[in-house]
Amino acid sequence: MAPHLELHALEKRFGATRAVQALTLAVGKGELIGLLGPSGCGKTTTLRMIGGLMPASAGRIVVAGRDVTALPPHQRDMGIVFQNYALFPHMDVAQNLSFGLEMRKIPAAERAARVTRALAMVRLEAFARRKPRELSGGQQQRVALARALVIEPSILLLDEPLSNLDANLREEMRNEIRDIQQRLGITAVFVTHDQSEALAICDRIAVMRLGVLEQLGTPFEIYERPANEFVAGFVGRVNRAPAERLADGRLRLGELLVQGSGTAGPGPVTLMIRPHRIRLGDGALEGPGWNSATGTVTRRTFVGDLLSIEVTVGPATLLVEQHSFAGAPGPAPGDAVQLAWRAEDTLVFPARVPA
Amino acid sequence: MISAGPGRFFFHLLVVALFLFLLGPVLLVFPISFSADSFIGWPPSGWSVKWYVAMLDQPTLGEALRNSLILAGIVTALALAIALPAAVALSRGSFPGRDAIMALLTAPLLLPTIVLGLALLIIFVTQGMIGSWPGLILAHLLLTVPYALRVLTTALGTLPASVEEAAASLGAPPLSVFFRVTLPLMAPGLVAAAAIVFLVSFDEVVITLFIVGPQLNTLPVALFRYVESRTDPLVAAVSVLMVLFTLLLVVVLERAIGLRKAIGGKGG
Ligand SMILES: Nc1ncnc2c1ncn2[C@@H]1O[C@H](COP(=O)(O)OP(=O)(O)OP(=O)(O)O)[C@@H](O)[C@H]1O
Ligand SMILES: [Mg+2]
Repeated sequence: MAPHLELHALEKRFGATRAVQALTLAVGKGELIGLLGPSGCGKTTTLRMIGGLMPASAGRIVVAGRDVTALPPHQRDMGIVFQNYALFPHMDVAQNLSFGLEMRKIPAAERAARVTRALAMVRLEAFARRKPRELSGGQQQRVALARALVIEPSILLLDEPLSNLDANLREEMRNEIRDIQQRLGITAVFVTHDQSEALAICDRIAVMRLGVLEQLGTPFEIYERPANEFVAGFVGRVNRAPAERLADGRLRLGELLVQGSGTAGPGPVTLMIRPHRIRLGDGALEGPGWNSATGTVTRRTFVGDLLSIEVTVGPATLLVEQHSFAGAPGPAPGDAVQLAWRAEDTLVFPARVPA
Repeated sequence: MISAGPGRFFFHLLVVALFLFLLGPVLLVFPISFSADSFIGWPPSGWSVKWYVAMLDQPTLGEALRNSLILAGIVTALALAIALPAAVALSRGSFPGRDAIMALLTAPLLLPTIVLGLALLIIFVTQGMIGSWPGLILAHLLLTVPYALRVLTTALGTLPASVEEAAASLGAPPLSVFFRVTLPLMAPGLVAAAAIVFLVSFDEVVITLFIVGPQLNTLPVALFRYVESRTDPLVAAVSVLMVLFTLLLVVVLERAIGLRKAIGGKGG
């Protein structure tokens, strides 16, 4: 299948700052792709270049085989949902939705029908005559989404559309966006710095750092097979420990010898293990494919659904997360505990050379 | 803060005193305008409305008033026609020397008006523009465009660019974005700019003094000339009408802008 949206070596410079560097990316028709990365990594800049709100310094943007790099935004046929909604304050909800249709010279009758349908889609039929400032944040966000969708754009661009909402509404809205996007089969780029949001709804995720694409992959690949230490650290919580890869492939962590994934080494490496992949136990899980260690509990934190336990193992301190159970407070500081985790859950990356 | 007490009482007293100090001279004009005397003095020896009646018999002042209204109207229209595109270019475009141009365009605000008046006199004399409509309009534009530009750039500055970007992304070409989104949203700023320009032009004396001629006079200058030769309370009566007119304009505009804000604009 030919990609719907392609970025070829896209680049944006602000003076000496290279906000986006050599970004190459292909998005399939109907695919929801997430742009994920820490603040300032160039997500918004990338989105604005795709939408034509900001000229690219270099590179090309291609939609359905057609180069749109030089096209002004009003000729790109892309719906944009802005982080601050950017609704028209002087128009009511129905007029906000109708605006894009008027610009496309859709006849009035069809316009009204499509506005009604779009309002029903985001469940705001009763609010058509309200002004944006008479709506809650979540309702405004839905209007922004409906306004971008009602024009049936070829591509939908979303810039942190959920960042102003509280946790519950956030989850509800992200699922709603996903549903609508899949139902309409629309190609979408979703910017977020919230990794759980990206993992939950994206078909693929592009992880960016300092304007550079670090990894592109499905949520599973990004989480389970992070391409490098940065991706592993950014997506999900993770323990880090310096170790050394021996010639036989095993890893030396202080006195301890463990097995890990990856091919980094031999020489100094960084081990990364996710806290919830370490089991606290009695050693029964030991066996082929498992690493085990003995350590001392240094801290125990109860976070409601999770029990978070800090264990010192030789030179390293590992965070272990377990589901909490009523009546089982878990090991106390000072206790000696057995740890076990799978070799494949031991991510190994080349140690970063101090710059 | 809301507590009642001696502190609050004295604060109110201070505010009242300040208002009296600022507005006292203006307020004094009201009783004097109803004086029955034929000179300005306090207290008047009797009361009458004869000076209001006498105004009707002043063709010079009437003519000057007409000129001032026409002048202020033309200047307002032209100042906005110049300042609006300039403000849009200055606050939305990005081109080299933008800040320098902004500074240059608003510089007349900082110049002493007497200097400006003298400079204009020198130029206009050589061009034969003294006492002419184009001369007066040009001089008032020089004075008022910076005000309009300031008010309009401020109005545009508080208007989030993302709203215009949203319109563009929905398929609106630049002109549609301007007329459907930018202009309606900056309407309060436009009204405010128009009001300020009108009042500045209508009240302007210093520069106008240099460039009016026997054929063409404005009301403030005519009044100024009048009190040079006569000291009867007629000027007080005229002043009262000017104060009331200005007040009326301000109230009407405040209502208009306030109303607009209530309809759209605010919040979001
Ligand atoms: N108009 C601009 N002028 C100069 N530098 C800019 C401009 N816009 C963005 N930058 C810089 O480009 C880099 C990327 O910015 P961008 O807004 O794309 O980040 P982001 O990934 O969206 O971050 P956030 O998560 O905080 O929104 C930053 O270093 C930022 O300072
Ligand atoms: Mg951003």
